[in-house]
Amino acid sequence: MNRLYPWLSCFLALCLLVCALPSAMAEEVIDADLTCTITLGNWPADTAPEAEKALFESYRAAMARQYPNVTLVPDYYSYTLSNYVPMAKGGTAPSIFQPPFTDPQLLISQHLVGDVTEALEAFGVLDKFSPSYVEMLADENGRIYGLPRDGYVLGMHINIALFREAGLVDGDGLPLYPKTLQEMAEYGKIIKEKTGKAGLVFPASETYGGWLFTNIAWNFGCVGESALEYQDEDGRWVCNFTSPECVAAMEFMRDLKWKYDILNADTTTTDWAGAHSLLGTGEAAMNFAADDSVDQPTANKGLPVADFALIPFPAGDAGRYALAGGTCYMFAPNITRDQGIALMAYLRVIGKLPFLDDAIIEGMRADYAAKRDRGAPVIPAISAWNDEEYNAAKQAIVDEYSNVDMRLYQDFFDSISEGTITLKSEEPVFAQQLYRELTAVIQRMITREGADVMKALQKAQDSFQEYLDDEINDY
Amino acid sequence: MAEQTRTGVIRDYDMHAPSVRVGYGIILFLCAVMVVVALFPLVWVILAGFKDLREFVSSTRLLPASFDPKTYLTTWNQLGIAKNYLNSFLSVAGSVVCALLFNGLLGYGLGILKPKGSGAVKKLVMLSLLMPTTISIVPLFMNIQKVGLGNSFVPLWLSYGANAMYVILFVQFFESLPASILEASRIDGCSQLQVFFRIVLPLSKPICSVVAIFAVNAAWSDFLLPYLVLRGGELQTVMVRLFVFSTEQTVNEDAMMRSVVFSMIPPIILFFIFQKQLTENSVSVGIKG
Amino acid sequence: MSEKSNRGRLRGRTGETLKSWLIMLPGLLLMTFFVWEPLLESIRMSLYKTRNVELVRFVGLDNFISVMGKDDFTQALMNTFSYTFWSLLIGFALPILLALMIGETRRGKGFFRTAVYLPNMLPGLAVIILWSAFFSGEKSGVLNILIGKLGIPPQSYLTKAHLVIPILIVIATWKGAGATALIYMAGMAGINAELYEAAAIDGATVWQRMLHILLPAIRKLAGTLLILQIISVFQIMYEPMVLTKGGPDNASLSLMQLMWQYAFGGAMNYGKASAVAVTVTLILLVMTGIYSYFNRKESDWD
Repeated sequence: MNRLYPWLSCFLALCLLVCALPSAMAEEVIDADLTCTITLGNWPADTAPEAEKALFESYRAAMARQYPNVTLVPDYYSYTLSNYVPMAKGGTAPSIFQPPFTDPQLLISQHLVGDVTEALEAFGVLDKFSPSYVEMLADENGRIYGLPRDGYVLGMHINIALFREAGLVDGDGLPLYPKTLQEMAEYGKIIKEKTGKAGLVFPASETYGGWLFTNIAWNFGCVGESALEYQDEDGRWVCNFTSPECVAAMEFMRDLKWKYDILNADTTTTDWAGAHSLLGTGEAAMNFAADDSVDQPTANKGLPVADFALIPFPAGDAGRYALAGGTCYMFAPNITRDQGIALMAYLRVIGKLPFLDDAIIEGMRADYAAKRDRGAPVIPAISAWNDEEYNAAKQAIVDEYSNVDMRLYQDFFDSISEGTITLKSEEPVFAQQLYRELTAVIQRMITREGADVMKALQKAQDSFQEYLDDEINDY
Repeated sequence: MAEQTRTGVIRDYDMHAPSVRVGYGIILFLCAVMVVVALFPLVWVILAGFKDLREFVSSTRLLPASFDPKTYLTTWNQLGIAKNYLNSFLSVAGSVVCALLFNGLLGYGLGILKPKGSGAVKKLVMLSLLMPTTISIVPLFMNIQKVGLGNSFVPLWLSYGANAMYVILFVQFFESLPASILEASRIDGCSQLQVFFRIVLPLSKPICSVVAIFAVNAAWSDFLLPYLVLRGGELQTVMVRLFVFSTEQTVNEDAMMRSVVFSMIPPIILFFIFQKQLTENSVSVGIKG
Repeated sequence: MSEKSNRGRLRGRTGETLKSWLIMLPGLLLMTFFVWEPLLESIRMSLYKTRNVELVRFVGLDNFISVMGKDDFTQALMNTFSYTFWSLLIGFALPILLALMIGETRRGKGFFRTAVYLPNMLPGLAVIILWSAFFSGEKSGVLNILIGKLGIPPQSYLTKAHLVIPILIVIATWKGAGATALIYMAGMAGINAELYEAAAIDGATVWQRMLHILLPAIRKLAGTLLILQIISVFQIMYEPMVLTKGGPDNASLSLMQLMWQYAFGGAMNYGKASAVAVTVTLILLVMTGIYSYFNRKESDWD
């Protein structure tokens, strides 16, 4: 595979050149007066595949034609809240960067990101966001600070080879996958007994464990009056980890280890990448993960696409929810109006605004071709834009490059489009801290047989409540 | 010379006693065990670097199935480590110069010149030894940004010019220099700076080489401040890359282990070049600190 | 001659004093910029309610009270002492033993010295990542492969709360013990061999010589190294961050790591982070104070 890369990238670059040339000729200069410099934190890392880098170079060329006086400075940046804050305060944050949807509200409330409302109006796309995204990316005055990059829905990755080995396939060789959490535990047990591999990999480190657990808790009924956190009549944020529903969910986590024994060995140090590794190399059969990371177990970790499936998040007795989220683009707090315009123009060029032109379509094609060549499943993305024309065009290109048996994904996408699964965004305030508290409880459950669920949850609840009081209620 | 190599408690004539001989045999055996324990992980990681991802995650064999040098080459090229090496070398070189010059001058002031009021400064420097440097990394980073030194090696270089440990090492060494030599040079009309560069420095080769080696090793291994300062892609050092790999999770486990090996090669080379200074001089310096 | 110092010529006159300070100025400026000012700034921050790095309002000791009232602080404090305890148990005596053994070897001394010192040169971050492969609980973990050869089934290490701190200390000791051993060796080499000879003539056994001549001779050195070791292990941070992420269930969370979490772990509460940092500093100062009190006659810490 690796030996192919140079050739592939040359080929792709050539394709891009050939494809981009005619449209480039036709392209007009859009604004020659706009003069500014923008630093691009979403530029591919230098470890990225050559093809991806070539793609971004072609974006740069397109920008140079449309806005000859806008200077683009590639500035690859891997966002974390912790490394962003000092940069934003020190004035060195890249003009554009990509935080997950958990952080915008915090960044907005702390005045650490730039306002792009006017720039969006200038491009006429203000009204095309999914409303839920507008809510996530605006302040209380309706000013917009970010744009959705892509959305994801949590489901489950399946290693079909292990299901097959455990006899859990139908006549067509499709996996008999678990529809409920209870089935997941039972299937996991069968797999562990038949293959000796982990039924489920559960990355219970740092915030990941708590993140996945919230979805399980929802399916046990931790929503509405039993939500993990809610605002009371006085507007105070209250945390509730000790509801019967939450206790049941946590008992289920404990049982996964001590009753069913389906988990991987180093649960408490397994991180996101480690979980994909275990599934991709055939050390675990199931992994809670989303549609946007299907390239991880496959192209990155070596699982053939034929042995990979994406299924809906298993339902619980009290709910059928799937966590939906994604990544957004946000902007440095000190951007000028001109920089705002230039940034929107750049986002249009890279195809992240709901506009279609030949260059963008070619860009998509190159993207999907690259995916297919790397051995990553080419599947439709869940769009964050309410723009039918745009979404349909994208789907058409997906179909053209498809390299998978869509039956292995159908239920996942159908459950979303048919609404048999309810999409739910992350807990509203200080989700990362909530995850951290819950991860600690999960770790306790998994590492100590017979640990007291109620006591551990009560402790976590007290701690998180104090955090909420400190950070919002008594701020 | 024989006198020097025989420093142990066990003297030659003890070796006639059978119990001592047995004891000595046990000591030799334990020393051998110790060498194995010290070297095994290192040897293992170099060999395990030849494993592919699946072997690394699944295989129950210590050694890879094949030793194809391409695994290392591919990772080297794919991750573009050469550039990081160059960055690391630049960062290290400047850090060493700053470590010697600024700490040396401060140590000269505190250890030899001792102007009025310097005693308090010396105490302050000694107290700074106790302060965890990570504590103030946020305000420090803000300072660096304020003076516009972000995304450059300069603050990293200069930060090695402010190392309490090195200052103390210099002070202690300078204080042990014979006063008569300094005295004589002053009578000859040398200025204070001339004394430092002409007399003190040439006498201070042992301490300079120790501080230099310490600084090289520390600057090579450092990643927290460099990570914040060199965030952009262009100037990242090898260790910053490794830290990014470990937090960013875009690199597979096998490539990660190979990166670990890459990050260890220069210190190992340095070690073999300077083993004598390291295992002898640094020790005699450490004994005073 | 009113001046006591034998370097009297180099000090004294005002002009000389000024020049001396000028020579130290660059170093002092750098110390101020990189060490002292940021330190004062974090003390100040610890007394303020902060929003990012801005000080919102003075709150006195509220940050300290709030931080110390939490379970994770208590846990981190206990853990940090536990790190210190294990470090003393595993990491303190071992270098002395190594030094004793290498010191007694009659051939290959240089080789042994080189071998034990080598791990100390390796970058700490790389060492932790390297050892994570050893303590992996999967059957592909190096330790599991090794015990598998003895017929023992794979074990899980990093998920066991009572094992994580000793494991981290074992790793730190692997890296540092050799270098410390060499310092002891230098100390032991400084002992006049005639003492041994004289004792031997008086009929002292090898063992007695070790107990009554060698060990007392390195006592002061051991004291100094002990306090240095405590200070350094008290600041342990990135090691658990990378290896266990503080888990399981905060079992390896250190105080400095707690500080990092307050500052960078999503809370962005630099006030509280600084409160933890200042607390660590105070504990270190107190411990050093106790040490110098008991060693006030011999200590070189004044």
